[in-house]
Amino acid sequence: MASDNNSNMIDPAIFEYLKAHGEEEIEVGDKLHQISAALNRNISTCQGLLSRIHSTPSSKLAPLLKQVEETGIHPEIEGVGELAQFASKYPYYKYNNRWARSIQNVVGTILLTAWLGGMGTESQPGELGRLLTIEDIGGILKVPVNLKDRDAFHVTIEEYLLALTDITEELSRLAMNSVTMGDVALTVRISSFIKDLFAGFQLLNLKNDIVRKRVDAVKYHVKKVEDVIYDLSLRNLLPKTE
Amino acid sequence: MSEVIVPKKKEGAMGGGVKRDYQGKEKGKRDTGAGGAADHPRNAYTSMFESFRDELDEHHDRRMRTGKVSRDVTALSKKIVRKLSQPIPERIQSEIDGRLKEIAELLETIQPDVQGMNRYRYPLICLEEFVEAVSFAHYLRHQTLITPAEAQDVLPADIQLTAADYVFGIFDLTGEMMRFATAVTALSGSMPTGDGPQKETDDGKRTILADMQDVSSILQISPTVGKFNTYAKKLDIMIEQVRKVERLGYGVVVRGNERPKGWMPDLNEDFSGGRGGDDITMTD
Repeated sequence: MASDNNSNMIDPAIFEYLKAHGEEEIEVGDKLHQISAALNRNISTCQGLLSRIHSTPSSKLAPLLKQVEETGIHPEIEGVGELAQFASKYPYYKYNNRWARSIQNVVGTILLTAWLGGMGTESQPGELGRLLTIEDIGGILKVPVNLKDRDAFHVTIEEYLLALTDITEELSRLAMNSVTMGDVALTVRISSFIKDLFAGFQLLNLKNDIVRKRVDAVKYHVKKVEDVIYDLSLRNLLPKTE
Repeated sequence: MSEVIVPKKKEGAMGGGVKRDYQGKEKGKRDTGAGGAADHPRNAYTSMFESFRDELDEHHDRRMRTGKVSRDVTALSKKIVRKLSQPIPERIQSEIDGRLKEIAELLETIQPDVQGMNRYRYPLICLEEFVEAVSFAHYLRHQTLITPAEAQDVLPADIQLTAADYVFGIFDLTGEMMRFATAVTALSGSMPTGDGPQKETDDGKRTILADMQDVSSILQISPTVGKFNTYAKKLDIMIEQVRKVERLGYGVVVRGNERPKGWMPDLNEDFSGGRGGDDITMTD
Protein backbone atom coordinates (compact mmCIF):
# COMPACT_ATOMS: atom_id res chain seq x y z
CA MET A 1 0.00 0.00 0.00
CA ALA A 2 2.18 2.69 1.33
CA SER A 3 4.96 1.06 -0.55
CA ASP A 4 3.11 0.43 -3.85
CA ASN A 5 5.12 -2.70 -4.23
CA ASN A 6 8.36 -0.75 -4.29
CA SER A 7 9.39 -1.33 -0.75
CA ASN A 8 11.01 1.42 1.26
CA MET A 9 13.84 -0.92 1.84
CA ILE A 10 15.05 -0.91 -1.74
CA ASP A 11 15.74 2.16 -3.82
CA PRO A 12 14.24 1.53 -7.29
CA ALA A 13 17.51 2.76 -8.77
CA ILE A 14 19.13 -0.44 -7.53
CA PHE A 15 16.87 -2.55 -9.65
CA GLU A 16 17.56 -0.37 -12.68
CA TYR A 17 21.27 -0.74 -12.05
CA LEU A 18 21.07 -4.53 -11.78
CA LYS A 19 18.89 -4.79 -14.85
CA ALA A 20 21.15 -2.61 -16.98
CA HIS A 21 24.31 -4.48 -16.03
CA GLY A 22 22.78 -7.92 -16.30
CA GLU A 23 21.27 -7.25 -19.70
CA GLU A 24 24.51 -5.85 -21.03
CA GLU A 25 26.40 -8.94 -19.96
CA ILE A 26 23.87 -11.19 -21.63
CA GLU A 27 23.88 -9.22 -24.88
CA VAL A 28 27.65 -9.02 -25.06
CA GLY A 29 27.92 -12.72 -24.27
CA ASP A 30 25.52 -13.65 -27.05
CA LYS A 31 27.25 -11.48 -29.60
CA LEU A 32 30.68 -12.78 -28.64
CA HIS A 33 29.41 -16.31 -28.92
CA GLN A 34 28.21 -15.57 -32.43
CA ILE A 35 31.45 -13.91 -33.52
CA SER A 36 33.69 -16.58 -32.07
CA ALA A 37 31.61 -19.40 -33.55
CA ALA A 38 32.21 -17.91 -37.01
CA LEU A 39 35.90 -17.39 -36.23
CA ASN A 40 36.24 -20.97 -35.00
CA ARG A 41 34.82 -22.27 -38.26
CA ASN A 42 37.50 -20.34 -40.14
CA ILE A 43 40.14 -21.71 -37.79
CA SER A 44 39.01 -25.29 -38.41
CA THR A 45 39.22 -24.76 -42.15
CA CYS A 46 42.70 -23.33 -41.82
CA GLN A 47 43.93 -26.07 -39.51
CA GLY A 48 42.48 -28.70 -41.78
CA LEU A 49 44.28 -27.30 -44.81
CA LEU A 50 47.47 -26.88 -42.86
CA SER A 51 47.40 -30.50 -41.72
CA ARG A 52 48.18 -31.45 -45.29
CA ILE A 53 51.78 -30.41 -44.69
CA HIS A 54 52.24 -33.86 -43.20
CA SER A 55 51.57 -35.50 -46.53
CA THR A 56 52.95 -32.86 -48.88
CA PRO A 57 56.55 -33.22 -50.08
CA SER A 58 58.71 -30.11 -49.81
CA SER A 59 58.64 -29.54 -53.55
CA LYS A 60 54.88 -29.03 -53.43
CA LEU A 61 54.80 -27.14 -50.16
CA ALA A 62 54.79 -23.64 -51.65
CA PRO A 63 51.44 -23.98 -53.47
CA LEU A 64 49.88 -25.56 -50.39
CA LEU A 65 51.01 -22.69 -48.19
CA LYS A 66 49.66 -20.25 -50.73
CA GLN A 67 46.29 -21.98 -50.49
CA VAL A 68 46.43 -21.96 -46.68
CA GLU A 69 47.08 -18.24 -46.73
CA GLU A 70 44.29 -17.45 -49.13
CA THR A 71 41.51 -19.74 -47.99
CA GLY A 72 42.57 -20.30 -44.39
CA ILE A 73 44.42 -17.36 -42.90
CA HIS A 74 42.71 -14.49 -44.69
CA PRO A 75 39.25 -15.45 -43.37
CA GLU A 76 40.82 -15.86 -39.93
CA ILE A 77 42.22 -12.34 -40.10
CA GLU A 78 38.79 -11.00 -41.02
CA GLY A 79 37.21 -12.90 -38.13
CA VAL A 80 39.74 -11.50 -35.70
CA GLY A 81 39.08 -8.04 -37.07
CA GLU A 82 35.37 -8.35 -36.37
CA LEU A 83 36.06 -9.68 -32.89
CA ALA A 84 38.55 -6.90 -32.16
CA GLN A 85 36.13 -4.22 -33.26
CA PHE A 86 33.32 -5.51 -31.04
CA ALA A 87 35.39 -6.57 -28.05
CA SER A 88 37.23 -3.26 -27.81
CA LYS A 89 34.01 -1.60 -26.61
CA TYR A 90 34.09 -3.59 -23.38
CA PRO A 91 36.63 -4.24 -20.63
CA TYR A 92 39.21 -6.59 -22.14
CA TYR A 93 39.77 -8.92 -19.22
CA LYS A 94 36.09 -9.17 -18.41
CA TYR A 95 35.46 -11.24 -21.51
CA ASN A 96 38.83 -12.32 -22.89
CA ASN A 97 38.45 -15.91 -21.71
CA ARG A 98 35.76 -16.28 -24.36
CA TRP A 99 38.19 -15.91 -27.22
CA ALA A 100 41.70 -16.54 -25.84
CA ARG A 101 41.72 -20.09 -27.18
CA SER A 102 40.60 -18.98 -30.64
CA ILE A 103 43.29 -16.31 -30.82
CA GLN A 104 45.87 -18.85 -29.75
CA ASN A 105 44.80 -21.10 -32.62
CA VAL A 106 44.86 -18.27 -35.14
CA VAL A 107 48.34 -17.23 -34.03
CA GLY A 108 49.42 -20.88 -34.18
CA THR A 109 48.31 -21.34 -37.79
CA ILE A 110 50.04 -18.12 -38.86
CA LEU A 111 53.27 -19.01 -37.06
CA LEU A 112 53.38 -22.46 -38.60
CA THR A 113 52.63 -21.24 -42.11
CA ALA A 114 55.31 -18.59 -41.81
CA TRP A 115 57.88 -20.98 -40.38
CA LEU A 116 57.39 -23.32 -43.31
CA GLY A 117 58.07 -20.46 -45.71
CA GLY A 118 54.69 -18.84 -46.22
CA MET A 119 53.32 -15.45 -45.20
CA GLY A 120 55.87 -13.64 -47.30
CA THR A 121 55.49 -9.91 -47.88
CA GLU A 122 57.26 -7.57 -50.24
CA SER A 123 59.63 -6.34 -47.59
CA GLN A 124 60.01 -9.73 -45.96
CA PRO A 125 59.88 -12.66 -48.35
CA GLY A 126 58.82 -15.96 -46.88
CA GLU A 127 61.59 -18.37 -46.02
CA LEU A 128 61.86 -21.67 -44.24
CA GLY A 129 62.58 -21.35 -40.54
CA ARG A 130 61.30 -17.81 -40.04
CA LEU A 131 59.65 -17.33 -36.66
CA LEU A 132 57.29 -14.38 -36.62
CA THR A 133 57.49 -12.22 -33.53
CA ILE A 134 54.43 -11.21 -31.56
CA GLU A 135 54.75 -7.78 -33.21
CA ASP A 136 54.71 -9.41 -36.67
CA ILE A 137 51.55 -11.24 -35.64
CA GLY A 138 49.97 -7.98 -34.54
CA GLY A 139 50.85 -6.46 -37.91
CA ILE A 140 49.27 -9.35 -39.80
CA LEU A 141 46.11 -9.40 -37.69
CA LYS A 142 46.01 -5.58 -37.60
CA VAL A 143 45.52 -5.55 -33.85
CA PRO A 144 47.75 -4.25 -31.04
CA VAL A 145 49.84 -6.70 -29.03
CA ASN A 146 50.66 -6.78 -25.33
CA LEU A 147 48.68 -3.62 -24.77
CA LYS A 148 49.28 -1.88 -21.47
CA ASP A 149 48.31 1.75 -21.74
CA ARG A 150 44.68 1.42 -22.76
CA ASP A 151 41.83 -1.05 -22.57
CA ALA A 152 41.21 -2.55 -25.99
CA PHE A 153 41.42 -5.82 -27.83
CA HIS A 154 44.95 -7.16 -28.28
CA VAL A 155 47.03 -10.31 -28.55
CA THR A 156 48.60 -11.23 -25.21
CA ILE A 157 52.01 -12.71 -24.52
CA GLU A 158 50.33 -15.77 -23.06
CA GLU A 159 48.41 -16.37 -26.26
CA TYR A 160 51.60 -16.08 -28.30
CA LEU A 161 53.52 -18.42 -25.99
CA LEU A 162 50.72 -20.97 -26.06
CA ALA A 163 50.67 -20.77 -29.84
CA LEU A 164 54.41 -21.51 -29.82
CA THR A 165 53.76 -24.68 -27.85
CA ASP A 166 51.16 -25.61 -30.45
CA ILE A 167 53.62 -25.30 -33.29
CA THR A 168 56.35 -27.28 -31.52
CA GLU A 169 53.83 -30.08 -31.26
CA GLU A 170 52.87 -29.81 -34.91
CA LEU A 171 56.51 -29.59 -36.04
CA SER A 172 57.50 -32.62 -33.98
CA ARG A 173 54.93 -34.54 -35.95
CA LEU A 174 56.23 -33.06 -39.18
CA ALA A 175 59.79 -34.05 -38.25
CA MET A 176 58.77 -37.67 -38.49
CA ASN A 177 56.62 -37.32 -41.58
CA SER A 178 59.22 -35.38 -43.51
CA VAL A 179 61.60 -38.32 -43.05
CA THR A 180 58.92 -40.53 -44.55
CA MET A 181 58.64 -38.13 -47.45
CA GLY A 182 62.40 -38.15 -47.92
CA ASP A 183 63.25 -34.66 -46.67
CA VAL A 184 65.70 -35.35 -43.89
CA ALA A 185 67.10 -31.82 -44.04
CA LEU A 186 63.74 -30.46 -42.86
CA THR A 187 63.78 -32.81 -39.87
CA VAL A 188 67.23 -31.55 -38.88
CA ARG A 189 66.02 -27.98 -39.27
CA ILE A 190 62.98 -28.66 -37.09
CA SER A 191 65.13 -30.33 -34.47
CA SER A 192 67.38 -27.33 -33.99
CA PHE A 193 64.42 -24.91 -34.03
CA ILE A 194 62.48 -26.82 -31.38
CA LYS A 195 65.56 -27.08 -29.20
CA ASP A 196 66.14 -23.34 -29.45
CA LEU A 197 62.54 -22.67 -28.48
CA PHE A 198 62.78 -25.15 -25.62
CA ALA A 199 65.87 -23.33 -24.34
CA GLY A 200 63.88 -20.11 -24.56
CA PHE A 201 60.99 -21.51 -22.55
CA GLN A 202 63.44 -22.45 -19.81
CA LEU A 203 64.11 -18.77 -19.24
CA LEU A 204 60.55 -18.08 -18.17
CA ASN A 205 59.58 -18.08 -14.51
CA LEU A 206 56.33 -19.91 -14.81
CA LYS A 207 53.65 -20.10 -12.18
CA ASN A 208 51.18 -22.87 -11.88
CA ASP A 209 48.98 -21.99 -14.81
CA ILE A 210 48.08 -23.07 -18.31
CA VAL A 211 51.30 -21.67 -19.79
CA ARG A 212 53.37 -23.86 -17.48
CA LYS A 213 51.30 -26.91 -18.33
CA ARG A 214 51.77 -26.40 -22.05
CA VAL A 215 55.44 -25.48 -21.76
CA ASP A 216 56.03 -28.64 -19.75
CA ALA A 217 54.71 -30.59 -22.70
CA VAL A 218 57.32 -29.06 -25.02
CA LYS A 219 59.99 -31.39 -23.69
CA TYR A 220 58.05 -34.32 -25.09
CA HIS A 221 58.00 -32.62 -28.47
CA VAL A 222 61.77 -32.24 -28.21
CA LYS A 223 62.13 -35.88 -27.26
CA LYS A 224 59.99 -37.00 -30.16
CA VAL A 225 62.23 -35.17 -32.60
CA GLU A 226 65.41 -36.38 -30.88
CA ASP A 227 64.22 -39.95 -31.25
CA VAL A 228 63.82 -39.41 -34.99
CA ILE A 229 67.27 -37.83 -35.25
CA TYR A 230 68.72 -40.73 -33.26
CA ASP A 231 67.20 -43.27 -35.64
CA LEU A 232 68.63 -41.38 -38.59
CA SER A 233 72.11 -40.95 -37.16
CA LEU A 234 72.27 -44.62 -36.20
CA ARG A 235 71.83 -45.52 -39.84
CA ASN A 236 74.04 -42.75 -41.18
CA LEU A 237 71.06 -41.15 -42.86
CA LEU A 238 71.75 -37.65 -41.64
CA PRO A 239 73.00 -35.25 -44.29
CA LYS A 240 76.66 -34.34 -43.84
CA THR A 241 77.01 -30.85 -42.47
CA GLU A 242 80.45 -29.46 -43.47
CA MET B 1 66.73 -43.12 6.04
CA SER B 2 69.96 -42.50 4.22
CA GLU B 3 71.10 -39.91 6.71
CA VAL B 4 71.45 -42.64 9.27
CA ILE B 5 73.43 -44.92 7.03
CA VAL B 6 75.94 -42.44 5.75
CA PRO B 7 76.92 -40.00 8.47
CA LYS B 8 78.97 -37.22 7.00
CA LYS B 9 80.31 -33.96 8.16
CA LYS B 10 77.86 -31.19 7.58
CA GLU B 11 78.87 -28.12 5.67
CA GLY B 12 76.88 -25.27 7.16
CA ALA B 13 76.89 -24.30 10.80
CA MET B 14 73.23 -25.17 11.03
CA GLY B 15 73.83 -28.42 9.24
CA GLY B 16 70.25 -28.38 7.94
CA GLY B 17 69.13 -30.61 5.13
CA VAL B 18 71.64 -32.21 2.81
CA LYS B 19 70.37 -33.38 -0.51
CA ARG B 20 71.46 -36.89 -1.36
CA ASP B 21 71.16 -39.08 -4.37
CA TYR B 22 69.62 -42.53 -4.36
CA GLN B 23 72.79 -44.11 -2.95
CA GLY B 24 72.84 -41.72 -0.05
CA LYS B 25 75.81 -39.76 -1.30
CA GLU B 26 75.74 -36.05 -0.91
CA LYS B 27 74.76 -34.25 -4.04
CA GLY B 28 77.19 -31.64 -5.24
CA LYS B 29 75.82 -28.15 -5.38
CA ARG B 30 74.77 -27.33 -8.87
CA ASP B 31 75.38 -23.80 -9.82
CA THR B 32 72.02 -22.44 -10.67
CA GLY B 33 70.62 -18.98 -10.50
CA ALA B 34 72.49 -15.96 -11.71
CA GLY B 35 75.74 -17.73 -12.51
CA GLY B 36 73.97 -20.49 -14.40
CA ALA B 37 71.88 -18.13 -16.43
CA ALA B 38 74.85 -16.08 -17.51
CA ASP B 39 76.67 -18.88 -19.31
CA HIS B 40 73.46 -20.21 -20.75
CA PRO B 41 74.04 -20.49 -24.49
CA ARG B 42 72.17 -17.83 -26.36
CA ASN B 43 70.26 -18.40 -29.53
CA ALA B 44 68.14 -16.38 -31.91
CA TYR B 45 65.17 -16.37 -29.57
CA THR B 46 66.87 -15.79 -26.24
CA SER B 47 66.26 -12.06 -26.09
CA MET B 48 62.64 -12.50 -27.12
CA PHE B 49 62.06 -14.92 -24.30
CA GLU B 50 63.88 -12.67 -21.89
CA SER B 51 61.52 -9.83 -22.62
CA PHE B 52 58.55 -12.21 -22.21
CA ARG B 53 60.00 -13.33 -18.91
CA ASP B 54 60.11 -9.76 -17.63
CA GLU B 55 56.54 -9.13 -18.74
CA LEU B 56 55.25 -12.31 -17.15
CA ASP B 57 57.15 -11.60 -13.93
CA GLU B 58 55.44 -8.23 -13.71
CA HIS B 59 52.09 -9.89 -14.24
CA HIS B 60 52.72 -12.55 -11.59
CA ASP B 61 53.93 -9.93 -9.13
CA ARG B 62 50.77 -7.93 -9.62
CA ARG B 63 48.67 -11.02 -9.17
CA MET B 64 50.49 -11.93 -5.96
CA ARG B 65 50.13 -8.44 -4.55
CA THR B 66 46.43 -8.20 -5.31
CA GLY B 67 45.83 -11.72 -4.02
CA LYS B 68 47.52 -10.96 -0.73
CA VAL B 69 45.76 -7.66 -0.21
CA SER B 70 42.48 -9.30 -1.15
CA ARG B 71 42.90 -11.90 1.57
CA ASP B 72 43.79 -9.28 4.17
CA VAL B 73 40.89 -7.03 3.26
CA THR B 74 38.55 -10.02 3.33
CA ALA B 75 39.68 -10.84 6.86
CA LEU B 76 39.21 -7.24 7.97
CA SER B 77 35.75 -7.07 6.40
CA LYS B 78 34.73 -10.22 8.18
CA LYS B 79 35.94 -8.78 11.46
CA ILE B 80 33.80 -5.70 10.88
CA VAL B 81 30.75 -7.86 10.18
CA ARG B 82 31.24 -9.85 13.39
CA LYS B 83 31.30 -6.69 15.46
CA LEU B 84 28.19 -5.17 13.99
CA SER B 85 25.05 -5.16 16.08
CA GLN B 86 22.24 -2.77 16.75
CA PRO B 87 22.58 -0.12 17.96
CA ILE B 88 26.22 0.38 17.10
CA PRO B 89 27.94 1.57 20.28
CA GLU B 90 30.66 4.20 20.25
CA ARG B 91 33.41 1.75 21.09
CA ILE B 92 32.52 -0.63 18.28
CA GLN B 93 32.13 2.24 15.86
CA SER B 94 35.66 3.43 16.53
CA GLU B 95 36.96 -0.10 16.09
CA ILE B 96 35.15 -0.36 12.77
CA ASP B 97 36.57 2.98 11.70
CA GLY B 98 40.03 1.68 12.53
CA ARG B 99 39.52 -1.39 10.39
CA LEU B 100 38.19 0.72 7.52
CA LYS B 101 41.35 2.76 7.75
CA GLU B 102 43.44 -0.41 7.51
CA ILE B 103 41.43 -1.50 4.49
CA ALA B 104 42.04 1.87 2.90
CA GLU B 105 45.79 1.56 3.42
CA LEU B 106 45.86 -1.97 2.01
CA LEU B 107 43.80 -1.15 -1.04
CA GLU B 108 45.91 1.88 -1.74
CA THR B 109 48.97 -0.33 -2.24
CA ILE B 110 47.34 -2.25 -5.09
CA GLN B 111 45.49 0.67 -6.61
CA PRO B 112 47.88 0.96 -9.58
CA ASP B 113 47.70 -2.80 -10.15
CA VAL B 114 43.98 -2.86 -10.77
CA GLN B 115 43.51 0.36 -12.72
CA GLY B 116 41.91 0.52 -16.14
CA MET B 117 42.23 -2.65 -18.13
CA ASN B 118 43.62 -4.63 -15.22
CA ARG B 119 40.50 -4.16 -13.11
CA TYR B 120 39.03 -7.40 -14.41
CA ARG B 121 42.38 -9.15 -14.76
CA TYR B 122 42.95 -10.13 -11.15
CA PRO B 123 40.30 -11.51 -8.84
CA LEU B 124 39.42 -9.15 -5.98
CA ILE B 125 37.06 -11.24 -3.88
CA CYS B 126 37.61 -8.85 -0.99
CA LEU B 127 35.34 -6.27 -2.61
CA GLU B 128 32.37 -8.61 -2.18
CA GLU B 129 33.25 -9.04 1.45
CA PHE B 130 33.65 -5.31 1.79
CA VAL B 131 30.19 -4.70 0.30
CA GLU B 132 28.79 -7.27 2.70
CA ALA B 133 30.25 -5.41 5.66
CA VAL B 134 29.22 -1.92 4.60
CA SER B 135 25.78 -2.98 3.43
CA PHE B 136 25.10 -4.67 6.75
CA ALA B 137 26.23 -1.59 8.66
CA HIS B 138 24.08 0.51 6.34
CA TYR B 139 21.09 -1.72 6.94
CA LEU B 140 21.45 -1.59 10.70
CA ARG B 141 21.58 2.21 10.61
CA HIS B 142 18.95 2.96 8.01
CA GLN B 143 17.01 -0.27 7.40
CA THR B 144 17.53 0.19 3.69
CA LEU B 145 19.60 -1.55 1.09
CA ILE B 146 22.79 0.27 0.20
CA THR B 147 22.89 1.44 -3.42
CA PRO B 148 25.83 0.66 -5.70
CA ALA B 149 26.74 4.35 -5.73
CA GLU B 150 26.74 4.54 -1.94
CA ALA B 151 28.85 1.40 -1.72
CA GLN B 152 31.33 2.89 -4.18
CA ASP B 153 31.44 6.08 -2.12
CA VAL B 154 32.41 4.32 1.08
CA LEU B 155 35.04 2.19 -0.66
CA PRO B 156 38.19 3.90 0.58
CA ALA B 157 40.20 3.60 -2.61
CA ASP B 158 40.02 4.61 -6.22
CA ILE B 159 39.01 1.15 -7.37
CA GLN B 160 35.95 0.59 -9.48
CA LEU B 161 33.28 -1.51 -7.81
CA THR B 162 31.79 -3.83 -10.44
CA ALA B 163 28.19 -4.95 -10.62
CA ALA B 164 29.28 -8.46 -9.70
CA ASP B 165 31.13 -7.21 -6.60
CA TYR B 166 28.01 -5.39 -5.50
CA VAL B 167 25.54 -8.19 -6.16
CA PHE B 168 27.67 -10.91 -4.58
CA GLY B 169 28.14 -8.71 -1.54
CA ILE B 170 24.37 -8.29 -1.24
CA PHE B 171 23.94 -12.06 -1.45
CA ASP B 172 26.22 -12.35 1.56
CA LEU B 173 24.28 -9.60 3.31
CA THR B 174 21.19 -11.79 3.58
CA GLY B 175 23.25 -14.33 5.52
CA GLU B 176 24.17 -11.65 8.02
CA MET B 177 20.57 -10.47 8.21
CA MET B 178 19.53 -14.03 8.96
CA ARG B 179 22.02 -14.34 11.80
CA PHE B 180 20.99 -10.98 13.15
CA ALA B 181 17.28 -11.84 12.97
CA THR B 182 17.88 -15.13 14.76
CA ALA B 183 19.94 -13.62 17.54
CA VAL B 184 17.56 -10.73 18.19
CA THR B 185 14.52 -12.96 18.10
CA ALA B 186 16.11 -15.31 20.57
CA LEU B 187 16.89 -12.50 22.96
CA SER B 188 13.75 -10.40 22.67
CA GLY B 189 11.15 -12.96 21.65
CA SER B 190 10.09 -10.98 18.60
CA MET B 191 11.36 -10.32 15.13
CA PRO B 192 13.53 -7.18 14.78
CA THR B 193 11.77 -4.25 13.13
CA GLY B 194 12.86 -0.96 11.78
CA ASP B 195 12.53 1.97 14.17
CA GLY B 196 12.01 4.78 11.70
CA PRO B 197 8.50 6.14 11.15
CA GLN B 198 8.76 5.44 7.42
CA LYS B 199 8.65 1.80 8.27
CA GLU B 200 4.99 1.89 9.25
CA THR B 201 2.68 0.01 6.96
CA ASP B 202 -0.87 -1.15 7.33
CA ASP B 203 0.30 -4.33 8.90
CA GLY B 204 2.32 -2.58 11.55
CA LYS B 205 6.07 -2.26 11.48
CA ARG B 206 8.09 -3.82 8.75
CA THR B 207 10.18 -6.67 9.99
CA ILE B 208 13.60 -7.79 8.89
CA LEU B 209 11.83 -10.74 7.30
CA ALA B 210 9.93 -8.50 4.92
CA ASP B 211 13.19 -6.78 4.01
CA MET B 212 14.90 -10.07 3.31
CA GLN B 213 11.98 -11.17 1.18
CA ASP B 214 12.26 -7.97 -0.82
CA VAL B 215 15.99 -8.36 -1.38
CA SER B 216 15.58 -11.94 -2.42
CA SER B 217 12.82 -11.20 -4.87
CA ILE B 218 14.68 -8.34 -6.52
CA LEU B 219 17.74 -10.52 -7.00
CA GLN B 220 15.61 -13.29 -8.43
CA ILE B 221 14.01 -10.91 -10.93
CA SER B 222 17.28 -9.30 -12.03
CA PRO B 223 19.32 -10.84 -14.81
CA THR B 224 22.49 -12.63 -13.81
CA VAL B 225 25.70 -10.65 -13.49
CA GLY B 226 29.16 -12.04 -12.97
CA LYS B 227 29.93 -15.73 -13.18
CA PHE B 228 26.73 -17.62 -13.86
CA ASN B 229 27.46 -20.58 -11.60
CA THR B 230 28.47 -18.43 -8.67
CA TYR B 231 25.33 -16.36 -9.08
CA ALA B 232 23.07 -19.41 -9.20
CA LYS B 233 24.71 -20.94 -6.15
CA LYS B 234 24.53 -17.78 -4.11
CA LEU B 235 20.92 -17.25 -5.16
CA ASP B 236 19.97 -20.72 -3.91
CA ILE B 237 21.67 -20.12 -0.60
CA MET B 238 19.93 -16.79 -0.20
CA ILE B 239 16.49 -18.28 -0.87
CA GLU B 240 17.17 -20.93 1.75
CA GLN B 241 18.18 -18.23 4.24
CA VAL B 242 14.96 -16.33 3.64
CA ARG B 243 12.97 -19.51 4.23
CA LYS B 244 14.74 -20.07 7.50
CA VAL B 245 13.76 -16.64 8.73
CA GLU B 246 10.22 -17.27 7.51
CA ARG B 247 10.07 -20.35 9.72
CA LEU B 248 11.47 -18.28 12.53
CA GLY B 249 8.72 -15.68 12.10
CA TYR B 250 6.08 -18.37 12.03
CA GLY B 251 7.48 -19.98 15.16
CA VAL B 252 7.44 -16.67 17.03
CA VAL B 253 3.83 -15.94 16.14
CA VAL B 254 2.48 -19.40 16.83
CA ARG B 255 4.32 -20.46 19.92
CA GLY B 256 6.43 -17.49 20.87
CA ASN B 257 5.04 -17.20 24.38
CA GLU B 258 5.61 -20.81 25.24
CA ARG B 259 9.33 -20.47 25.07
CA PRO B 260 11.65 -19.07 27.71
CA LYS B 261 13.71 -15.99 26.95
CA GLY B 262 17.09 -16.74 25.50
CA TRP B 263 15.85 -19.84 23.76
CA MET B 264 17.55 -20.26 20.41
CA PRO B 265 15.21 -21.25 17.62
CA ASP B 266 16.15 -24.25 15.57
CA LEU B 267 15.94 -22.92 12.05
CA ASN B 268 16.16 -26.31 10.49
CA GLU B 269 13.11 -27.73 12.17
CA ASP B 270 10.12 -28.66 10.00
CA PHE B 271 9.95 -28.10 6.26
CA SER B 272 13.69 -28.16 5.88
CA GLY B 273 13.38 -30.78 3.18
CA GLY B 274 16.78 -32.27 3.67
CA ARG B 275 18.71 -29.05 3.18
CA GLY B 276 20.87 -28.66 6.22
CA GLY B 277 22.02 -25.46 7.80
CA ASP B 278 25.59 -26.12 6.84
CA ASP B 279 25.38 -24.26 3.56
CA ILE B 280 24.83 -20.83 5.02
CA THR B 281 28.25 -19.46 4.41
CA MET B 282 30.22 -19.21 1.25
CA THR B 283 33.73 -18.09 1.69
CA ASP B 284 34.34 -17.02 -1.83
